[in-house]
Amino acid sequence: MLADAFPDATQLSVEDRTGTGDHFLVTVTSSRFDGLPLLEQHRLVNAALAAPLADGTIHELRIKTKGTA
Amino acid sequence: MNDLSAKIKEVIEGEPVALFMKGTPQMVMCGNSLRALEALRRAGAPVTAVDILPDPAIRQELSALSGWPTIPQVFVRGELVGGADIVEELEQSGELERTLEDKLGAGYRDARDEKTVAVL
Repeated sequence: MLADAFPDATQLSVEDRTGTGDHFLVTVTSSRFDGLPLLEQHRLVNAALAAPLADGTIHELRIKTKGTA
Repeated sequence: MNDLSAKIKEVIEGEPVALFMKGTPQMVMCGNSLRALEALRRAGAPVTAVDILPDPAIRQELSALSGWPTIPQVFVRGELVGGADIVEELEQSGELERTLEDKLGAGYRDARDEKTVAVL
């Protein structure tokens, strides 16, 4: 899902923070973030995960984004 | 627009800093809500908190308005700043204080206000 949204990502990791498969820390470094405010960077990640966020599969999501520029 | 949505909008647009959270500043029910609240406190922001837990509809209407899926959500002068990760990162870089100064004026810390309002 994330790999589809960020095919150019130089770093992409998903950490299951609690081991229960519903609290995640997502870290993405991608050129898609270059020049974007943090809010818009996080919006892109939220959009990529819209389905599992909406149906409650993801109970808690932490996001860390970085551009490549 | 229904009454609940209108009330949420009124808080977002009417309060200098609105924090939609799980629980209240006196009894925070979620780690991320606490992270956002503490970052705002460090920045000296006047916080108007809204507990979204009393009714799932609050969160649904809020996310429909903001286009943001998770809680907490922080707004300054009607504009979404972000969730816990963003607010924390902006506070650490000093950008949150700059935004508060820009939007609320240099004396924003004097208010030191922390209150909770209900939207139901």
